[in-house]
Amino acid sequence: MPLDTSAYSLALLRVDGRRWNELRRIHAQIRTQAAADGSSYLEMGHTKVMCVVNGPSEPGPRRGATSGGGGGGGQSKNAEVAVNIVIAGFSSVDRKRRGRGDKHILELQSTISQALAASLHTHLFPHSTINISLHVLSQDGSLLAALINAATLACVDAGIPMTDYVAACTAGSTSTYAANDEGADPLLDMNHQEEQELPGLTVATLGDSDRVAVLVCESRVQVSRLEGMLAVGVDGCKQVREILDRVVREKGIKMIQEGTVERGVGLNDMELD
Amino acid sequence: MPREAEPSANEKAFLLKALQDEQIRLDGREFDQYRPLELTFGDEYGVANVSLGKTKILAKASAEVTVPFADRPLDGIFTIATELSPMAAPHFEVNRPTETEVLLSRLLEKTVRRSGALDTESLCLVAGQKCWSVRVDVHVLSHDGNLTDAACFAVVAALRHFRKPDTSMENGVLTVYTPAEREPVPLGWLHSPFCVTWSFFGEEGETALLDADWMEEQVRVASVTISLNRHGEICQIAKLGGVPVEAVALLQCTSVALTKVKEFSTYLDDKLAEDAKRRDKGGFMAELRAENDRIVG
Amino acid sequence: MPITILPPKAFRDQPPRHSLNHDSDDVMSDATSDSEDSDSQPGGVSLDGGATIHPRKRHRSGAGAAASSTFTKRPKTNAAINSIPRSAIVTPGERITTDPQWMRGHGTYLSSASLGEQAITSSLAGIVTRTNKLLSVRPLRARYTPEVGDLVVGRIVEVQAKRWRVDVGSTQLAALPLSAINLPGGILRKRTETDELQIRTFFAEGDLVVAEVQQLFQDGGAVLHTRSLKYGKLRNGVFMAVSGTGGGGGVVRSRRQVWTLESANNGGPIDVILGVNGYVWISKHVEPVVPEEAKGQTGITNLEEVVSATMYSSQNDRIEPETMREIARIRGVVTALVENGLRVDEDMVTKGYNEAVELALVSADGPEDVYLGGERGEQLAAALTAV
Repeated sequence: MPLDTSAYSLALLRVDGRRWNELRRIHAQIRTQAAADGSSYLEMGHTKVMCVVNGPSEPGPRRGATSGGGGGGGQSKNAEVAVNIVIAGFSSVDRKRRGRGDKHILELQSTISQALAASLHTHLFPHSTINISLHVLSQDGSLLAALINAATLACVDAGIPMTDYVAACTAGSTSTYAANDEGADPLLDMNHQEEQELPGLTVATLGDSDRVAVLVCESRVQVSRLEGMLAVGVDGCKQVREILDRVVREKGIKMIQEGTVERGVGLNDMELD
Repeated sequence: MPREAEPSANEKAFLLKALQDEQIRLDGREFDQYRPLELTFGDEYGVANVSLGKTKILAKASAEVTVPFADRPLDGIFTIATELSPMAAPHFEVNRPTETEVLLSRLLEKTVRRSGALDTESLCLVAGQKCWSVRVDVHVLSHDGNLTDAACFAVVAALRHFRKPDTSMENGVLTVYTPAEREPVPLGWLHSPFCVTWSFFGEEGETALLDADWMEEQVRVASVTISLNRHGEICQIAKLGGVPVEAVALLQCTSVALTKVKEFSTYLDDKLAEDAKRRDKGGFMAELRAENDRIVG
Repeated sequence: MPITILPPKAFRDQPPRHSLNHDSDDVMSDATSDSEDSDSQPGGVSLDGGATIHPRKRHRSGAGAAASSTFTKRPKTNAAINSIPRSAIVTPGERITTDPQWMRGHGTYLSSASLGEQAITSSLAGIVTRTNKLLSVRPLRARYTPEVGDLVVGRIVEVQAKRWRVDVGSTQLAALPLSAINLPGGILRKRTETDELQIRTFFAEGDLVVAEVQQLFQDGGAVLHTRSLKYGKLRNGVFMAVSGTGGGGGVVRSRRQVWTLESANNGGPIDVILGVNGYVWISKHVEPVVPEEAKGQTGITNLEEVVSATMYSSQNDRIEPETMREIARIRGVVTALVENGLRVDEDMVTKGYNEAVELALVSADGPEDVYLGGERGEQLAAALTAV
């Protein structure tokens, strides 16, 4: 169903009232599941996902088939990162049930597994598996980005060493592939309506560097648009990283306040030179 | 299940050292050089045989008349089926798709189908009742790395070479003509997308290679597949995880990919023209002649 | 408490920036300098008070350059957080120091800073600790990491030819070799092939054991032993898993991990085993039964010989309902401690148990009420922290 996005050029406001460079509200929590090693809940606008991390642990003698597998098998020198995604039937409008073998889900699983395997220090956990289970509760665009962010948070919560956060967001462009207009604006953090209508891509970067861990573009777009979209996307990832970092810090400080964690040698008490 | 044979630590170290310190690939190619790409068409329409070095792929397009999907009554059906059998490499099994196969078929799907290369509306015969179902089967005959680029080229070549039987509608009667009655017609084709895959090596993915062979693929730390057409439209980009790579490097990869895609496009056009010339024996009149071709000499 | 993040304010009012590579080295510098977390100040570890660490540092200018905190610019969402500086914890990717005199410990890695400098960077969310010149990061929470001498409770998950594989809540399964257990018939008996064939008669899959970490493999895997009367198969009680050492509330390493608690309400003595790995075993205390005829010939080897006959039994003794109730009460105390983020050790459990008995007396259901969840757990925790 075509959607009228022509109003953008009048007021430079998007369908949900955001400007071109605004993220949607990101709300995140960590340690939501007591039984898991690490867990998180993340909302990017109306996209809501939950993540549970178990491990690293060594699978018992009879292990089930795992999907994904960035970082190698169970007997290798590195831990295996196994990702499993469940998309709830009620998460989107059409209530379509996706089966186990859905190629789109398999692709998402593989992407998240490979992206995290590159950041997590898997060499510290030989023979083990890190099981990441993601549940999509509600979808409103930027699904892959939300999944990556939730998985990163849950891994931080599980205390798995990593090089840096892998933070993701989406970027789009107001032009369609046919329109060759030069005045097209890049857009940050696309919702479902915009994803349907406009070209866009998902970017994930490592920490606040410009290094791109994941870049997925599934729509037809002029090659000249890529640079602008990528720049906005990378910049959005940095904002997302700050938000994720704030969530982790606030949880950590709360734990120190409650006395759950003893306050260590604060860096202030240390003479570092 | 036979496991994928991994190169030994020494082999890996040798390859990486040659790449990073000496800037030499094991087979002596330039970093942005493809292995020799060859395309031959079969006797039938819609059969394309592509070889890229030792990687060999056969793609066969076929069409039949079926009922369209209820939710898309005005569109024909277009599917791409990939088959990675033990013939390509021992660790592939029939009927159990590996991750490689899933990712390959998703890439082809996104590159060719979702980018709208084939005009599916032109496949509709009677709205909501009859349409063409076009199917491309991709068979990997030999696997020596870079399946994506080769498979994508094969699919596009097969589809552009393919001719479907001509049809006509008269007074609500649909007639499908045999090739003898009417010359088959080509598919409604909108643009030709091609995949270009870069492989990255080194701790921060600083070395980028085009068209990695199987050995290089096993050692690489990340890869990005960029699909473009000759008009400079991106159809798909997939960097599915792996070691993070500088954003600027990715942009450079894209611009080099565009020049490669233009080369592919020209090569395919030439090959199609060559094949058309070979088939064209002077129209119906020539075919109706009773004489045999005479072998001279 | 849900943490609400306000939507970021529009950080730029400039026209869209389309270019990424006008300068390949410094691509994003314009982006970062425009955003609210300005990066223009010199980074590094400051020596004066206040915040000490820059969250994101690109250029390092001069070691120890005094830097005012960039954090103060950011709106605080919670007033209480002000009392503890944000630098109290570090997060993954945060640079700790570039000073080469420090050594890198657990939870950190070396990343290349500018000009070929190596920076010690955190790979975890946690607290920086210092041992002489070694800097490490203790995670807020992580899986148990075995150390030699730890008392652990574990579950047998796999039986192999000459050893068992034991789940101790670590990243890898621990190994318990056949040669590291007390064989029935005395400590000095030689291990025979018969023992290997009968390996399942000692421990089978699913059995719980209490053991000690004897040695560690290079890759972090642990080897256990049960060569003491204190160790061996567990029965007559209840198992529970809480988080172990490695951060967060849970079992901490302490002087005594095993003790016998004299319970109230005719429960009799109850053994509590707090495995350092966070696995807890609470059971009825059973005196080693020494048969009459063996009493005459005392001597430690003899005693062990006799005891070991019952050592590998999988049969529970009779447990009185009163004892069961008190076991359940202790279990409730441990759960309440963990849920309220308190540490679990002998002192806390004993105090908590006494408090729980008091609580039960005033409850409507009388002393039989062992429920300690929800509000009552919080009440218990509050009473313990108040002391």
